[in-house]
Amino acid sequence: MPDTHFYRYDDYDRALVRERVEQFRDQVRRRIAGELTEEQFKPLRLTNGLYLQLHAYMLRIAIPYGTLSSRQLRKLAEIARKYDRGYGHFTTRQNLQLNWIKLEDAPDALAMLAEVDMHAMQTSGNVIRNVTADHFAGAAVDEIEDPRIWCEIVRQWSTLHPEFSFLPRKFKIAITGSPNDRAAVRVHDIGLRLWRNEQGEVGFEVIVGGGLGRTPMIGKTLRAFLPKDELLAYLEATLRVYNRYGRRDNLYKARIKILVHEIGAEKMREEVEAEYAATRHSALKLAPEAIDAIARQFAPPPLRPKRTRVPEVEALKLENRAFALWLKSNVAPHRVVGHAIVTASLKPAGAPPGDASAVQMEGVADIAEAYSQGEVRVSHEQNLVFPHVAIEALPAVYRALERLGFAEANVGKITDIIACPGLDYCALANARSIPVAQSISTHFASLARQHDIGDLKIKISGCINACGHHHVGHIGILGVDKNGLELYQISLGGDVDFGNTALGAILGPAIEADKVVEAVDALVATYLDARAEGERFVDTYRRIGAQPFKERVYGNP
Amino acid sequence: MAKNLSGDLQVASANRLVDGLVVYLDDAGRWTPRLDRAALARDRSESAILLERARAEAFTVVDPFLVAVTESDDGTIEPLSLREKIRAAGLTFDAIASEAIRYA
Amino acid sequence: MEILKEEPLPPEVPTLVLPNTEDVMKLGDRLDGVRLIILDFPKFTDGRAYTQARLLRERLGYSGELRASGAVFIDQLPFLLRCGFDSFASAERGFGEALAKARTLFSVVYQPTGDGRATANELRLARRSAVAA
Repeated sequence: MPDTHFYRYDDYDRALVRERVEQFRDQVRRRIAGELTEEQFKPLRLTNGLYLQLHAYMLRIAIPYGTLSSRQLRKLAEIARKYDRGYGHFTTRQNLQLNWIKLEDAPDALAMLAEVDMHAMQTSGNVIRNVTADHFAGAAVDEIEDPRIWCEIVRQWSTLHPEFSFLPRKFKIAITGSPNDRAAVRVHDIGLRLWRNEQGEVGFEVIVGGGLGRTPMIGKTLRAFLPKDELLAYLEATLRVYNRYGRRDNLYKARIKILVHEIGAEKMREEVEAEYAATRHSALKLAPEAIDAIARQFAPPPLRPKRTRVPEVEALKLENRAFALWLKSNVAPHRVVGHAIVTASLKPAGAPPGDASAVQMEGVADIAEAYSQGEVRVSHEQNLVFPHVAIEALPAVYRALERLGFAEANVGKITDIIACPGLDYCALANARSIPVAQSISTHFASLARQHDIGDLKIKISGCINACGHHHVGHIGILGVDKNGLELYQISLGGDVDFGNTALGAILGPAIEADKVVEAVDALVATYLDARAEGERFVDTYRRIGAQPFKERVYGNP
Repeated sequence: MAKNLSGDLQVASANRLVDGLVVYLDDAGRWTPRLDRAALARDRSESAILLERARAEAFTVVDPFLVAVTESDDGTIEPLSLREKIRAAGLTFDAIASEAIRYA
Repeated sequence: MEILKEEPLPPEVPTLVLPNTEDVMKLGDRLDGVRLIILDFPKFTDGRAYTQARLLRERLGYSGELRASGAVFIDQLPFLLRCGFDSFASAERGFGEALAKARTLFSVVYQPTGDGRATANELRLARRSAVAA
């Protein structure tokens, strides 16, 4: 088995995870024995990723910076089979959710997870959540520095943080190391963007107070350039200001974005800078040796340049139209010549987005071992990524993915839909998401048509909490409940691209479930009629505005 | 088929503590996964009593609550809301089943 | 309610009782001569007093008794201890026993706080230089 090219736990990390499992085992025992009330227990189980959903407990497993070894993925499959119904759901936060867990089994499932250096800590609750990153990290052509080094540093600092384990509300951090942001850093509580200044130094732009949910907001830049070794000092200062002043009187106003909005970015900056003036001289300042020790573990795999034009690839391209389309949509350039980054689509036509069975997870692990240095990534678009594939291996990878049902050439296309679990699973949801995604995906199944329509991001949430990121979909769909009826509100023009981050605008009155496909079809037709050369759906929308789309969907007033 | 849609009919439901399973309170004060065995309250005062009983039996379940149901002529009980229909009947689509070897 | 500390101070010592909304950085001379500060947890999910405690210990150098009161439960203990609390008013059964174990519940910590425990990173660096020497 190949060595991993990302952070490996040492005995300290392992001890902590094991001790946390045993602490949780005792908490579960006390709950079942009646020593803890549900009110007391709920925050405790949530900070270990355990929710009570409609039909069962759901365990949300952290996949830090979306990076998995094939060995870890096999273990996830094993846990899904042993303690769940043999499948899992990859989420927009690069986590894996198992939907049918028993409370009494949860400590054993977590112990099994600990065998492969994984955990479910802080995947829920009012704490610093699992830190997310660009899913192309360490392989992307445009990358300045691997953001996962910093994610790991933040992961350790935030794990069981004694001061910040009872925050006003949840806290999400994302880090990108590329100018082309694939981590949506402007819509996180804190977004960090590595960039190189005029002096040639690399540091962070610190963006605070973004987020989706009930009150979507684009984050504000609190600091344009933060020296890397002061990252934790600045984060601790920001979290301290939030812990002190964040609202606790109203659940819906408790996120840091509301604090930033209410006191203003200027005042927020003042408060954070005042605190940072003290923390930057503390033990939080990172020693170069400490950074190096972690950075070394993210050293890229020793890939040698290979040929870029491979006769077998060219031949298959001519022979197999689906493969040719797949090369266009699911294969991205790699920084090493003759290599590529391959996205396995977890969105086959008509399937629940982001779901994978244990058999499929094992199949993906096989492919990673054979062709991608044993490494897999989870993208926030709910797909799996092979970061290091030789171009000459693409036909074999494609065929292997075909056998798993993950070779759909639809990445970034209209059927690459992001959807939350919705009312079929979730205790918070108002409407179903998955069946809506399935009907759209079935309707637009033709690959030729999808590629003609081009890049189009549909994002579906089953309630206002926006786990399906509907605010930033080119087409956003939000399920609402009106007197017991599921209705869907459509918005247009959302975007997470760094320079263009925008929140979608609601198109008109919410429509019934069986009208959603028709409406999406009308939106697409409007675009196809109006598009100029090279324009994507969202570009056309920006140019011509909402009116033509509105008329097509709702008819002339 | 005639249904009582008044919204007055209620059963008590909860999730079982140890595994989260959806359960209903039966006439004997036991929690059962079978909706057809659920104790049925037919008016407001019966509902209040039912909820009281459910809370008194809550040691093995989480946060009992009332569910509005309909009753057809043949006595079949069905929840009114979609959410409760889904809790009672399960997912509205086919989840992937690992050992179905759909992709093997 | 039981006060858990090895040798609790007699009740007449100079004491400051603070709500968790108090800005401890602005206490000024109110801190003079104080030997007991009682911080409040109105709900155990309200974590403001953790910040107050760290600022008192680490920024203001307060070295007297620091007591957590209100909604104080076993499961907060590892956090409370790391933030500098050294006395606890809790009605929870088994709290005293849990307190005895809380210091060793986690053998590893990642964050530097005023409790003086060596962090995982410090231990790693020490180990590395020991190997190098």
